[in-house]
Amino acid sequence: MSNLSNIFGGGTTTDPRKEGMPLFGLWGEEGGGNTVSTYRVFDSGFKNVGSPWATTSTTTTNYRGGMLADASFAYTKNDHGQDFNVDFTTQTYSSYNHYCKSMYQIDQYPHCFYYSASRDGMVSWQSLHQITSSFEYTVGWTKLNMVLPEGIRPRRMFCNRRYSMREKTGNNSLGSIDHYDYSSHMLNTDNDYCVSTGYNEKTKTLVMVHSANEGDNSAKTVHIFKGSKDLNLVGKIKEFFDNLESTEYFLDSWSLDNNKNWCTVVGNNDWVGFGGKNGNTKKYCAFDCSVKGVGQSLTGASRRYLDWQNFAGSVTTSYGAANGNQYYTRFNTTWDGTWGMIFSPYYYYGVGINAFCMSLENPRKFISINQTKSSRGNPYTAWGRTGFHGGDDDNTDGTSWQTYGFSFDPTDSDHTVDTTVFMGSTSGEATVPDNNSHVGGTYTNKTGNCSISQCYTQLHGGYYSTCYPMLLGINWWGAYGSADSSYGGK
Amino acid sequence: MAIYYFTNSGEPATPIEETGEDLMKKGLAIKATVPDGIEAWRLSYDIAAKAVVVYAEGQDEAGAIAQKVTDGAAQAVKDKEKQDADTAASEA
Repeated sequence: MSNLSNIFGGGTTTDPRKEGMPLFGLWGEEGGGNTVSTYRVFDSGFKNVGSPWATTSTTTTNYRGGMLADASFAYTKNDHGQDFNVDFTTQTYSSYNHYCKSMYQIDQYPHCFYYSASRDGMVSWQSLHQITSSFEYTVGWTKLNMVLPEGIRPRRMFCNRRYSMREKTGNNSLGSIDHYDYSSHMLNTDNDYCVSTGYNEKTKTLVMVHSANEGDNSAKTVHIFKGSKDLNLVGKIKEFFDNLESTEYFLDSWSLDNNKNWCTVVGNNDWVGFGGKNGNTKKYCAFDCSVKGVGQSLTGASRRYLDWQNFAGSVTTSYGAANGNQYYTRFNTTWDGTWGMIFSPYYYYGVGINAFCMSLENPRKFISINQTKSSRGNPYTAWGRTGFHGGDDDNTDGTSWQTYGFSFDPTDSDHTVDTTVFMGSTSGEATVPDNNSHVGGTYTNKTGNCSISQCYTQLHGGYYSTCYPMLLGINWWGAYGSADSSYGGK
Repeated sequence: MAIYYFTNSGEPATPIEETGEDLMKKGLAIKATVPDGIEAWRLSYDIAAKAVVVYAEGQDEAGAIAQKVTDGAAQAVKDKEKQDADTAASEA
Protein backbone atom coordinates (compact mmCIF):
# COMPACT_ATOMS: atom_id res chain seq x y z
CA MET A 1 0.00 0.00 0.00
CA SER A 2 2.81 2.35 0.73
CA ASN A 3 3.95 2.05 -2.87
CA LEU A 4 0.48 2.82 -4.15
CA SER A 5 0.28 5.67 -1.72
CA ASN A 6 3.49 7.08 -3.07
CA ILE A 7 2.35 6.73 -6.64
CA PHE A 8 -0.77 8.70 -5.89
CA GLY A 9 1.11 11.35 -3.99
CA GLY A 10 -0.21 10.40 -0.62
CA GLY A 11 3.07 9.36 1.01
CA THR A 12 6.69 10.21 1.15
CA THR A 13 9.56 8.73 -0.82
CA THR A 14 13.15 8.47 0.24
CA ASP A 15 15.67 10.19 -1.97
CA PRO A 16 17.65 7.37 -3.61
CA ARG A 17 20.85 9.31 -2.90
CA LYS A 18 20.30 9.21 0.85
CA GLU A 19 22.69 7.16 2.98
CA GLY A 20 22.60 6.13 6.64
CA MET A 21 25.07 7.77 8.97
CA PRO A 22 28.71 7.64 7.87
CA LEU A 23 30.87 4.55 7.70
CA PHE A 24 34.64 4.61 7.35
CA GLY A 25 37.31 2.06 6.55
CA LEU A 26 40.38 1.33 8.65
CA TRP A 27 43.41 -0.35 7.11
CA GLY A 28 45.88 -1.98 9.43
CA GLU A 29 48.93 -4.01 8.62
CA GLU A 30 52.23 -5.18 9.94
CA GLY A 31 55.22 -3.39 8.48
CA GLY A 32 55.53 -4.73 4.95
CA GLY A 33 52.01 -6.02 4.60
CA ASN A 34 53.34 -9.54 4.03
CA THR A 35 51.57 -11.52 6.69
CA VAL A 36 48.82 -9.18 7.80
CA SER A 37 46.75 -6.68 5.88
CA THR A 38 43.37 -5.95 7.35
CA TYR A 39 40.52 -3.77 6.22
CA ARG A 40 37.64 -3.23 8.56
CA VAL A 41 34.58 -1.07 8.12
CA PHE A 42 33.12 0.78 11.10
CA ASP A 43 29.91 2.66 11.60
CA SER A 44 29.63 5.98 13.39
CA GLY A 45 29.31 4.12 16.68
CA PHE A 46 32.70 2.50 16.00
CA LYS A 47 31.14 -0.93 15.62
CA ASN A 48 32.77 -3.23 13.12
CA VAL A 49 30.26 -3.82 10.34
CA GLY A 50 32.56 -5.67 7.97
CA SER A 51 35.99 -7.27 7.81
CA PRO A 52 36.04 -8.43 4.20
CA TRP A 53 39.68 -9.41 4.11
CA ALA A 54 39.72 -11.54 7.22
CA THR A 55 40.97 -14.53 5.28
CA THR A 56 44.00 -12.74 3.89
CA SER A 57 45.71 -12.32 7.23
CA THR A 58 48.56 -14.59 8.25
CA THR A 59 48.88 -16.11 4.79
CA THR A 60 52.47 -14.98 4.11
CA THR A 61 51.50 -14.41 0.50
CA ASN A 62 50.31 -11.47 -1.47
CA TYR A 63 46.83 -12.98 -1.48
CA ARG A 64 45.27 -9.68 -0.61
CA GLY A 65 46.90 -8.03 -3.59
CA GLY A 66 45.63 -10.77 -5.85
CA MET A 67 42.13 -10.75 -4.46
CA LEU A 68 41.82 -7.04 -5.11
CA ALA A 69 43.84 -7.08 -8.32
CA ASP A 70 46.00 -4.48 -6.61
CA ALA A 71 49.08 -3.62 -8.61
CA SER A 72 49.78 -0.45 -6.68
CA PHE A 73 50.44 -1.49 -3.09
CA ALA A 74 50.46 -5.30 -3.07
CA TYR A 75 53.15 -7.27 -1.27
CA THR A 76 56.25 -7.65 -3.52
CA LYS A 77 54.52 -7.15 -6.87
CA ASN A 78 53.60 -3.49 -6.68
CA ASP A 79 54.27 -0.22 -8.41
CA HIS A 80 54.34 2.07 -5.40
CA GLY A 81 55.58 0.26 -2.33
CA GLN A 82 53.89 -2.15 0.01
CA ASP A 83 53.18 -0.31 3.20
CA PHE A 84 51.71 2.94 4.40
CA ASN A 85 54.17 3.80 7.11
CA VAL A 86 54.56 7.50 6.51
CA ASP A 87 54.75 10.22 9.12
CA PHE A 88 54.35 13.27 6.83
CA THR A 89 57.41 14.97 8.23
CA THR A 90 58.78 16.10 4.90
CA GLN A 91 56.76 14.30 2.25
CA THR A 92 56.11 16.56 -0.74
CA TYR A 93 54.00 16.01 -3.83
CA SER A 94 56.70 13.75 -5.23
CA SER A 95 55.94 11.36 -2.37
CA TYR A 96 52.41 10.94 -3.66
CA ASN A 97 52.62 7.21 -3.08
CA HIS A 98 52.34 8.15 0.60
CA TYR A 99 49.50 10.58 0.27
CA CYS A 100 46.71 8.13 1.08
CA LYS A 101 46.93 9.33 4.68
CA SER A 102 46.92 13.02 3.86
CA MET A 103 44.00 15.21 4.79
CA TYR A 104 43.62 16.06 1.09
CA GLN A 105 42.22 12.57 0.56
CA ILE A 106 38.61 13.17 1.58
CA ASP A 107 36.17 15.98 0.88
CA GLN A 108 32.40 16.01 0.44
CA TYR A 109 32.54 14.05 -2.83
CA PRO A 110 32.25 10.26 -2.61
CA HIS A 111 35.39 9.52 -4.61
CA CYS A 112 38.70 10.11 -2.91
CA PHE A 113 41.90 11.56 -4.31
CA TYR A 114 44.24 8.58 -4.11
CA TYR A 115 41.87 5.63 -3.92
CA SER A 116 38.27 4.57 -4.03
CA ALA A 117 36.93 2.25 -1.34
CA SER A 118 33.62 0.48 -1.08
CA ARG A 119 31.89 -0.70 2.08
CA ASP A 120 32.54 -4.25 0.91
CA GLY A 121 36.30 -3.86 0.97
CA MET A 122 36.87 -3.12 -2.69
CA VAL A 123 39.69 -0.68 -2.22
CA SER A 124 41.18 0.33 -5.54
CA TRP A 125 44.24 2.49 -5.30
CA GLN A 126 44.55 4.94 -8.13
CA SER A 127 47.37 4.19 -10.49
CA LEU A 128 49.79 6.91 -9.53
CA HIS A 129 51.71 6.85 -12.79
CA GLN A 130 49.94 9.90 -14.20
CA ILE A 131 48.77 11.30 -10.86
CA THR A 132 50.14 14.76 -11.66
CA SER A 133 47.82 14.99 -14.65
CA SER A 134 44.77 13.51 -12.92
CA PHE A 135 41.54 15.42 -12.49
CA GLU A 136 41.91 15.91 -8.74
CA TYR A 137 45.55 16.91 -8.97
CA THR A 138 45.03 19.54 -11.65
CA VAL A 139 41.44 20.80 -11.56
CA GLY A 140 39.75 19.26 -8.50
CA TRP A 141 39.39 22.84 -7.26
CA THR A 142 36.75 23.51 -9.98
CA LYS A 143 34.19 21.20 -8.32
CA LEU A 144 31.06 22.87 -6.97
CA ASN A 145 30.73 23.06 -3.20
CA MET A 146 27.31 21.55 -2.57
CA VAL A 147 24.92 22.15 0.33
CA LEU A 148 22.55 19.19 0.26
CA PRO A 149 19.77 17.65 2.35
CA GLU A 150 20.44 15.25 5.22
CA GLY A 151 22.37 12.08 4.38
CA ILE A 152 23.17 13.06 0.81
CA ARG A 153 26.57 13.51 -0.78
CA PRO A 154 26.99 14.92 -4.29
CA ARG A 155 26.18 12.14 -6.76
CA ARG A 156 26.68 14.36 -9.78
CA MET A 157 29.85 16.35 -10.22
CA PHE A 158 29.73 19.73 -11.87
CA CYS A 159 32.88 21.73 -12.50
CA ASN A 160 33.06 25.43 -13.27
CA ARG A 161 35.96 27.15 -15.04
CA ARG A 162 35.97 30.38 -17.06
CA TYR A 163 32.29 30.65 -18.26
CA SER A 164 31.79 26.92 -18.59
CA MET A 165 29.95 24.45 -16.42
CA ARG A 166 30.85 20.86 -17.17
CA GLU A 167 29.57 17.62 -15.73
CA LYS A 168 32.11 14.90 -15.09
CA THR A 169 32.27 11.50 -13.44
CA GLY A 170 35.04 11.43 -10.86
CA ASN A 171 38.82 11.34 -10.73
CA ASN A 172 39.53 10.51 -14.37
CA SER A 173 40.24 12.30 -17.61
CA LEU A 174 37.38 10.91 -19.63
CA GLY A 175 35.24 13.32 -21.57
CA SER A 176 32.65 15.46 -19.89
CA ILE A 177 29.04 14.34 -19.88
CA ASP A 178 27.80 17.82 -20.50
CA HIS A 179 29.10 21.33 -21.16
CA TYR A 180 27.32 24.68 -21.10
CA ASP A 181 28.67 28.17 -21.68
CA TYR A 182 26.51 30.30 -19.38
CA SER A 183 28.05 33.66 -20.32
CA SER A 184 24.82 34.87 -21.92
CA HIS A 185 23.18 34.72 -18.49
CA MET A 186 25.81 36.88 -16.82
CA LEU A 187 25.12 40.50 -15.99
CA ASN A 188 28.77 41.45 -15.82
CA THR A 189 31.78 40.00 -17.60
CA ASP A 190 34.55 42.20 -16.24
CA ASN A 191 36.22 39.11 -14.83
CA ASP A 192 36.31 35.94 -16.90
CA TYR A 193 37.95 33.31 -14.70
CA CYS A 194 35.56 31.38 -12.48
CA VAL A 195 37.46 30.57 -9.29
CA SER A 196 34.77 29.17 -6.99
CA THR A 197 31.16 27.99 -7.13
CA GLY A 198 28.66 26.91 -4.54
CA TYR A 199 25.18 25.45 -4.88
CA ASN A 200 22.34 25.07 -2.40
CA GLU A 201 19.86 22.40 -3.43
CA LYS A 202 17.13 23.50 -1.02
CA THR A 203 17.02 27.05 -2.37
CA LYS A 204 18.19 26.12 -5.92
CA THR A 205 20.75 28.89 -5.63
CA LEU A 206 24.00 28.86 -7.58
CA VAL A 207 26.66 31.38 -6.57
CA MET A 208 29.84 31.79 -8.55
CA VAL A 209 32.91 33.96 -8.14
CA HIS A 210 34.84 35.24 -11.15
CA SER A 211 38.22 36.93 -11.01
CA ALA A 212 40.69 38.32 -13.54
CA ASN A 213 42.90 35.25 -13.23
CA GLU A 214 43.27 31.96 -11.37
CA GLY A 215 46.26 33.32 -9.44
CA ASP A 216 46.18 36.10 -6.88
CA ASN A 217 44.06 38.75 -8.62
CA SER A 218 41.76 40.42 -6.12
CA ALA A 219 38.97 41.68 -8.44
CA LYS A 220 35.80 39.70 -7.94
CA THR A 221 32.43 39.46 -9.67
CA VAL A 222 29.92 37.42 -7.72
CA HIS A 223 26.83 36.18 -9.53
CA ILE A 224 23.80 34.84 -7.71
CA PHE A 225 21.53 32.65 -9.85
CA LYS A 226 18.27 31.44 -8.39
CA GLY A 227 16.63 28.71 -10.40
CA SER A 228 13.23 27.07 -10.50
CA LYS A 229 14.80 23.72 -11.43
CA ASP A 230 17.22 21.83 -9.23
CA LEU A 231 20.65 21.61 -10.85
CA ASN A 232 20.99 18.06 -9.55
CA LEU A 233 17.81 17.00 -11.35
CA VAL A 234 18.16 18.63 -14.75
CA GLY A 235 19.02 16.52 -17.77
CA LYS A 236 21.27 19.20 -19.19
CA ILE A 237 23.00 22.06 -17.39
CA LYS A 238 21.35 24.45 -19.83
CA GLU A 239 17.96 23.64 -18.29
CA PHE A 240 19.01 25.18 -15.00
CA PHE A 241 20.02 28.43 -16.66
CA ASP A 242 16.96 28.46 -18.92
CA ASN A 243 14.76 28.42 -15.84
CA LEU A 244 16.28 31.15 -13.72
CA GLU A 245 13.96 33.10 -11.46
CA SER A 246 16.45 35.83 -10.67
CA THR A 247 20.02 36.85 -11.39
CA GLU A 248 22.04 39.41 -9.46
CA TYR A 249 25.68 40.26 -9.11
CA PHE A 250 28.01 42.43 -7.12
CA LEU A 251 31.58 43.55 -7.52
CA ASP A 252 34.16 43.48 -4.78
CA SER A 253 37.86 43.13 -4.11
CA TRP A 254 39.00 40.08 -2.12
CA SER A 255 42.41 38.54 -2.13
CA LEU A 256 43.97 35.20 -1.30
CA ASP A 257 47.44 34.14 -2.36
CA ASN A 258 45.75 31.90 -4.92
CA ASN A 259 42.19 32.08 -6.22
CA LYS A 260 41.93 28.29 -6.55
CA ASN A 261 41.67 28.15 -2.77
CA TRP A 262 38.26 29.85 -2.67
CA CYS A 263 35.32 27.85 -1.35
CA THR A 264 31.75 29.11 -1.72
CA VAL A 265 29.19 27.91 0.81
CA VAL A 266 25.58 28.80 0.00
CA GLY A 267 23.55 28.76 3.20
CA ASN A 268 19.87 27.88 3.54
CA ASN A 269 19.09 31.48 4.59
CA ASP A 270 20.69 33.03 1.45
CA TRP A 271 23.79 34.13 3.35
CA VAL A 272 26.85 32.82 1.57
CA GLY A 273 30.24 32.12 3.13
CA PHE A 274 33.39 32.64 1.09
CA GLY A 275 36.69 31.39 2.45
CA GLY A 276 39.96 29.70 1.74
CA LYS A 277 43.58 29.26 2.61
CA ASN A 278 45.78 32.32 2.37
CA GLY A 279 49.47 31.76 2.98
CA ASN A 280 49.75 29.98 6.30
CA THR A 281 46.43 31.35 7.50
CA LYS A 282 42.90 31.41 6.12
CA LYS A 283 40.13 33.96 5.50
CA TYR A 284 36.36 33.81 5.69
CA CYS A 285 33.45 36.21 5.36
CA ALA A 286 29.69 35.82 4.93
CA PHE A 287 27.68 37.91 2.46
CA ASP A 288 23.96 38.54 2.16
CA CYS A 289 23.05 37.05 -1.23
CA SER A 290 19.30 37.24 -0.87
CA VAL A 291 17.38 38.68 -3.79
CA LYS A 292 17.52 42.45 -3.66
CA GLY A 293 15.73 43.00 -6.92
CA VAL A 294 17.92 45.86 -7.97
CA GLY A 295 20.41 44.27 -10.33
CA GLN A 296 23.94 44.99 -9.33
CA SER A 297 23.57 48.24 -7.41
CA LEU A 298 24.40 46.85 -3.97
CA THR A 299 28.12 46.66 -3.36
CA GLY A 300 29.95 43.79 -1.74
CA ALA A 301 30.61 45.88 1.35
CA SER A 302 26.91 46.52 1.90
CA ARG A 303 26.18 42.80 1.77
CA ARG A 304 28.95 41.77 4.12
CA TYR A 305 28.50 40.47 7.67
CA LEU A 306 31.02 42.52 9.68
CA ASP A 307 34.47 42.07 8.15
CA TRP A 308 36.80 39.36 6.86
CA GLN A 309 38.03 37.08 9.59
CA ASN A 310 41.48 35.54 9.59
CA PHE A 311 41.83 32.02 10.95
CA ALA A 312 41.90 32.39 14.73
CA GLY A 313 43.94 29.35 15.71
CA SER A 314 47.58 28.35 15.61
CA VAL A 315 49.30 28.39 12.22
CA THR A 316 52.64 27.21 10.95
CA THR A 317 54.15 26.68 7.51
CA SER A 318 51.55 24.89 5.42
CA TYR A 319 50.89 24.56 1.72
CA GLY A 320 47.92 25.61 -0.39
CA ALA A 321 47.03 26.08 -4.04
CA ALA A 322 49.82 28.65 -4.42
CA ASN A 323 52.23 25.75 -3.93
CA GLY A 324 50.42 23.44 -6.35
CA ASN A 325 46.85 22.98 -7.59
CA GLN A 326 46.47 19.72 -5.67
CA TYR A 327 46.77 21.58 -2.37
CA TYR A 328 43.54 23.50 -2.99
CA THR A 329 41.32 24.20 0.02
CA ARG A 330 38.68 21.52 0.56
CA PHE A 331 35.04 21.59 1.66
CA ASN A 332 33.01 18.98 3.49
CA THR A 333 29.72 18.81 5.36
CA THR A 334 28.33 16.87 8.27
CA TRP A 335 26.05 13.95 7.46
CA ASP A 336 22.92 15.92 8.35
CA GLY A 337 23.95 18.87 6.20
CA THR A 338 23.66 21.39 9.02
CA TRP A 339 27.37 22.28 9.37
CA GLY A 340 30.11 22.72 6.80
CA MET A 341 33.88 22.86 6.97
CA ILE A 342 36.39 24.74 4.80
CA PHE A 343 39.69 23.08 5.63
CA SER A 344 43.39 22.67 4.88
CA PRO A 345 46.38 21.20 6.73
CA TYR A 346 48.05 22.75 9.75
CA TYR A 347 51.53 21.50 8.95
CA TYR A 348 53.20 21.65 5.56
CA TYR A 349 51.72 19.08 3.21
CA GLY A 350 48.94 17.14 4.87
CA VAL A 351 48.87 16.87 8.68
CA GLY A 352 46.77 18.60 11.33
CA ILE A 353 43.84 20.81 10.45
CA ASN A 354 43.06 24.50 10.10
CA ALA A 355 39.40 24.99 9.34
CA PHE A 356 36.44 27.29 9.45
CA CYS A 357 33.29 25.45 10.43
CA MET A 358 30.05 27.25 9.64
CA SER A 359 26.34 26.68 10.10
CA LEU A 360 24.83 25.82 6.73
CA GLU A 361 21.54 27.21 7.95
CA ASN A 362 23.26 30.54 8.62
CA PRO A 363 26.86 30.96 7.38
CA ARG A 364 27.28 34.06 9.58
CA LYS A 365 27.72 31.59 12.42
CA PHE A 366 31.26 30.24 12.22
CA ILE A 367 34.34 29.44 14.30
CA SER A 368 37.89 28.28 13.67
CA ILE A 369 38.78 24.61 14.23
CA ASN A 370 42.38 23.67 14.93
CA GLN A 371 44.50 20.57 15.43
CA THR A 372 48.26 21.01 15.52
CA LYS A 373 49.70 17.61 14.72
CA SER A 374 52.95 17.76 12.76
CA SER A 375 53.33 14.07 11.96
CA ARG A 376 51.27 10.92 11.47
CA GLY A 377 48.02 12.31 10.14
CA ASN A 378 44.96 10.83 8.52
CA PRO A 379 42.11 12.37 6.57
CA TYR A 380 38.96 13.67 8.27
CA THR A 381 35.57 12.25 7.42
CA ALA A 382 31.98 13.00 8.37
CA TRP A 383 31.06 11.25 11.60
CA GLY A 384 27.71 10.67 13.29
CA ARG A 385 24.87 13.07 12.69
CA THR A 386 26.62 16.43 12.98
CA GLY A 387 30.36 15.86 13.29
CA PHE A 388 33.70 14.87 11.84
CA HIS A 389 36.60 12.71 12.94
CA GLY A 390 40.05 11.65 11.76
CA GLY A 391 43.56 13.04 11.72
CA ASP A 392 45.60 10.40 13.58
CA ASP A 393 47.61 7.32 12.57
CA ASP A 394 49.93 7.02 15.55
CA ASN A 395 51.34 3.58 16.31
CA THR A 396 48.66 1.45 17.97
CA ASP A 397 51.12 -0.98 19.54
CA GLY A 398 50.12 -0.88 23.20
CA THR A 399 47.40 1.71 22.77
CA SER A 400 43.94 2.16 21.34
CA TRP A 401 43.59 3.78 17.92
CA GLN A 402 42.98 7.46 18.50
CA THR A 403 41.06 9.96 16.43
CA TYR A 404 40.09 13.61 16.69
CA GLY A 405 36.30 13.65 16.90
CA PHE A 406 34.07 16.68 17.32
CA SER A 407 30.46 17.51 16.68
CA PHE A 408 28.05 20.42 16.62
CA ASP A 409 24.47 21.04 17.62
CA PRO A 410 22.33 20.86 14.46
CA THR A 411 19.92 23.44 15.90
CA ASP A 412 22.70 25.87 16.80
CA SER A 413 22.47 28.44 14.01
CA ASP A 414 22.18 31.79 15.83
CA HIS A 415 25.30 33.81 15.09
CA THR A 416 24.71 36.06 18.09
CA VAL A 417 25.40 33.28 20.59
CA ASP A 418 28.49 31.18 21.21
CA THR A 419 28.93 27.95 19.27
CA THR A 420 28.86 24.72 21.24
CA VAL A 421 31.31 22.00 20.25
CA PHE A 422 31.05 18.52 21.74
CA MET A 423 34.35 16.72 22.19
CA GLY A 424 35.68 13.50 23.67
CA SER A 425 38.88 12.54 25.43
CA THR A 426 41.19 9.68 26.27
CA SER A 427 38.94 8.63 29.13
CA GLY A 428 35.33 7.58 29.46
CA GLU A 429 35.25 9.17 32.91
CA ALA A 430 36.25 12.51 31.45
CA THR A 431 33.76 12.23 28.59
CA VAL A 432 30.82 11.42 30.88
CA PRO A 433 32.03 13.15 34.04
CA ASP A 434 30.62 13.08 37.53
CA ASN A 435 29.42 16.68 37.25
CA ASN A 436 27.16 18.82 35.08
CA SER A 437 29.86 20.43 32.96
CA HIS A 438 29.73 20.50 29.20
CA VAL A 439 32.53 18.37 27.74
CA GLY A 440 34.00 20.36 24.91
CA GLY A 441 33.70 24.09 24.72
CA THR A 442 31.68 27.09 23.70
CA TYR A 443 33.33 29.49 21.30
CA THR A 444 32.72 33.10 20.43
CA ASN A 445 31.28 33.58 16.98
CA LYS A 446 33.78 34.64 14.32
CA THR A 447 36.86 35.07 16.55
CA GLY A 448 36.63 31.84 18.53
CA ASN A 449 39.02 28.94 18.02
CA CYS A 450 38.34 25.36 19.03
CA SER A 451 41.35 23.09 19.49
CA ILE A 452 39.90 19.64 19.02
CA SER A 453 40.90 16.89 21.38
CA GLN A 454 42.28 13.40 20.88
CA CYS A 455 39.90 10.58 21.70
CA TYR A 456 40.45 6.89 22.31
CA THR A 457 38.28 4.75 20.07
CA GLN A 458 38.98 1.53 21.98
CA LEU A 459 39.70 -0.04 18.58
CA HIS A 460 42.91 -1.88 17.89
CA GLY A 461 44.75 -0.75 14.80
CA GLY A 462 44.53 -4.06 12.96
CA TYR A 463 47.75 -5.66 14.14
CA TYR A 464 48.94 -6.53 17.64
CA SER A 465 52.40 -5.01 17.28
CA THR A 466 53.64 -1.98 15.33
CA CYS A 467 50.76 -0.63 13.25
CA TYR A 468 49.85 2.77 11.81
CA PRO A 469 46.17 2.53 10.83
CA MET A 470 44.93 4.32 7.75
CA LEU A 471 41.47 5.84 7.63
CA LEU A 472 39.62 5.40 4.34
CA GLY A 473 36.59 7.20 3.00
CA ILE A 474 33.88 5.01 1.52
CA ASN A 475 32.21 5.94 -1.72
CA TRP A 476 28.76 4.50 -1.00
CA TRP A 477 27.29 2.79 2.03
CA GLY A 478 23.66 3.20 1.11
CA ALA A 479 20.96 2.89 3.73
CA TYR A 480 23.14 0.76 5.96
CA GLY A 481 22.06 0.94 9.57
CA SER A 482 19.09 3.21 9.08
CA ALA A 483 16.70 0.61 10.45
CA ASP A 484 18.96 -0.37 13.35
CA SER A 485 18.06 1.54 16.49
CA SER A 486 21.48 1.00 18.00
CA TYR A 487 22.93 2.86 15.07
CA GLY A 488 21.80 6.20 16.45
CA GLY A 489 20.10 7.48 13.33
CA LYS A 490 16.99 9.55 13.35
CA MET B 1 59.58 37.35 23.05
CA ALA B 2 55.90 37.01 22.21
CA ILE B 3 52.68 35.87 23.83
CA TYR B 4 51.19 32.55 22.77
CA TYR B 5 48.19 30.68 24.09
CA PHE B 6 48.24 26.91 24.60
CA THR B 7 45.47 24.39 25.22
CA ASN B 8 45.13 22.77 28.61
CA SER B 9 46.94 19.76 27.19
CA GLY B 10 49.86 21.93 26.07
CA GLU B 11 49.27 22.23 22.33
CA PRO B 12 49.51 25.57 20.51
CA ALA B 13 46.07 27.21 20.43
CA THR B 14 46.44 30.72 19.09
CA PRO B 15 48.80 33.70 18.92
CA ILE B 16 45.82 36.10 18.63
CA GLU B 17 45.19 38.06 21.83
CA GLU B 18 41.44 38.52 21.36
CA THR B 19 40.91 34.80 20.79
CA GLY B 20 43.40 33.71 23.44
CA GLU B 21 42.05 35.96 26.20
CA ASP B 22 38.53 34.75 25.42
CA LEU B 23 39.68 31.13 25.72
CA MET B 24 41.44 31.98 29.01
CA LYS B 25 38.21 33.40 30.43
CA LYS B 26 36.48 30.15 29.56
CA GLY B 27 39.24 28.09 31.14
CA LEU B 28 40.31 26.66 27.79
CA ALA B 29 43.81 28.11 27.39
CA ILE B 30 47.10 28.86 29.10
CA LYS B 31 49.05 32.05 28.38
CA ALA B 32 52.82 31.90 28.03
CA THR B 33 55.77 33.78 26.62
CA VAL B 34 57.55 32.17 23.69
CA PRO B 35 60.77 33.05 21.89
CA ASP B 36 60.51 35.06 18.67
CA GLY B 37 60.97 33.47 15.27
CA ILE B 38 59.99 29.91 16.18
CA GLU B 39 57.34 28.18 14.06
CA ALA B 40 54.34 27.06 16.10
CA TRP B 41 54.75 23.36 15.26
CA ARG B 42 57.90 23.41 17.39
CA LEU B 43 56.14 24.88 20.43
CA SER B 44 54.40 23.10 23.26
CA TYR B 45 53.68 23.79 26.90
CA ASP B 46 54.78 21.41 29.65
CA ILE B 47 51.80 21.46 31.99
CA ALA B 48 53.68 19.88 34.90
CA ALA B 49 56.77 22.05 34.63
CA LYS B 50 54.72 25.09 33.62
CA ALA B 51 57.23 25.93 30.93
CA VAL B 52 57.29 26.38 27.17
CA VAL B 53 59.16 23.64 25.31
CA VAL B 54 60.83 24.35 21.95
CA TYR B 55 61.50 21.32 19.78
CA ALA B 56 65.10 21.26 18.48
CA GLU B 57 65.92 24.36 20.51
CA GLY B 58 68.79 26.40 19.13
CA GLN B 59 68.17 25.32 15.54
CA ASP B 60 66.58 27.21 12.68
CA GLU B 61 63.52 25.86 10.83
CA ALA B 62 65.58 23.80 8.38
CA GLY B 63 67.61 22.36 11.22
CA ALA B 64 64.48 21.54 13.21
CA ILE B 65 62.95 19.71 10.25
CA ALA B 66 66.19 17.80 9.72
CA GLN B 67 66.07 16.86 13.40
CA LYS B 68 62.46 15.74 12.96
CA VAL B 69 63.44 13.51 10.04
CA THR B 70 66.25 11.99 12.10
CA ASP B 71 63.98 11.43 15.10
CA GLY B 72 61.24 9.96 12.90
CA ALA B 73 63.64 7.54 11.25
CA ALA B 74 65.02 6.46 14.61
CA GLN B 75 61.50 5.87 15.92
CA ALA B 76 60.63 3.84 12.81
CA VAL B 77 63.68 1.62 13.42
CA LYS B 78 62.62 1.13 17.03
CA ASP B 79 59.07 0.31 15.97
CA LYS B 80 60.35 -2.23 13.44
CA GLU B 81 62.63 -3.85 15.99
CA LYS B 82 59.73 -4.13 18.39
CA GLN B 83 57.58 -5.67 15.68
CA ASP B 84 60.27 -8.19 14.73
CA ALA B 85 60.72 -9.13 18.37
CA ASP B 86 56.97 -9.54 18.82
CA THR B 87 56.76 -11.68 15.71
CA ALA B 88 59.70 -13.86 16.78
CA ALA B 89 58.16 -14.31 20.22
CA SER B 90 54.81 -15.31 18.76
CA GLU B 91 56.44 -17.92 16.52
CA ALA B 92 58.74 -19.36 19.22
